[in-house]
Amino acid sequence: MVFWLIGIGFLAGVIGGMGMGGGTILVPLLSFLDLGQKSIQATNLLSFLPMCVVALLLHNKNHLVCKRNVGWVVVPAVASCILGAVLGQNTHNDTLRACFGVFLVLVGLWQLTVSIKFAVKQHRRKKHKLVCRHLPKSIKKGA
Amino acid sequence: MWKKSALVLGGVVAGFINGFLGGGGGVVIVSLLLSVLKLDQKKSQATALLVILPLTVVSAVVYVVYGNVDWRTALFTTIGVVAGGIVGALLLKKLDSNVVKMIFAIVLILGGVKMFF
Repeated sequence: MVFWLIGIGFLAGVIGGMGMGGGTILVPLLSFLDLGQKSIQATNLLSFLPMCVVALLLHNKNHLVCKRNVGWVVVPAVASCILGAVLGQNTHNDTLRACFGVFLVLVGLWQLTVSIKFAVKQHRRKKHKLVCRHLPKSIKKGA
Repeated sequence: MWKKSALVLGGVVAGFINGFLGGGGGVVIVSLLLSVLKLDQKKSQATALLVILPLTVVSAVVYVVYGNVDWRTALFTTIGVVAGGIVGALLLKKLDSNVVKMIFAIVLILGGVKMFF
């Protein structure tokens, strides 16, 4: 069990370290083990904390954190977070699991759409560059 | 005015998701910062942590108060996550991030479907 926990944590950590939401993948991976959904979600939250603190300090040092206007997000987010967390504690594990499943599928579909769009855009740009490179100089000047 | 309203609304949605599902608020926050505050990808991801940190602390406190934490599971998973996080940060520069994103999206969908079984 300990081996699996560290292994699953490691895998999610690699994805999280690449900035792609390791937490979202940690939950389904932990669901392979015999654990309750609430316990899995609590593990997800607690294991994210040290990484979050270190990453935030590093990004702040590199001037990547913009504090302006963020208060407009943080205050309502914290208030609704308490509501959501309390509601979650009073929800059945199976219901929570299903809700998390729906959330993952939606996020996955959205991310897949964004990355495919980006890949198509990049492909078109490369193709355009290639065509421009092979144009005769007279046409290039005219353009 | 619409900007502040969008930030408040986005915050409410992200906070609720993070508390109810024990994570996932970051995805909403990053999109919010990208689209409303027009921050670039790196700054959005970095700034999202500033929002997510208090959300994670507050959610974790609620889970602890309700006695839903398995401390042994949390400890060993955290050890793995921290070690993996360092490796992931080092790998980031060596991989095509868009290909990784596509693979990750497919894994997310499969993970989501798995949650129903």
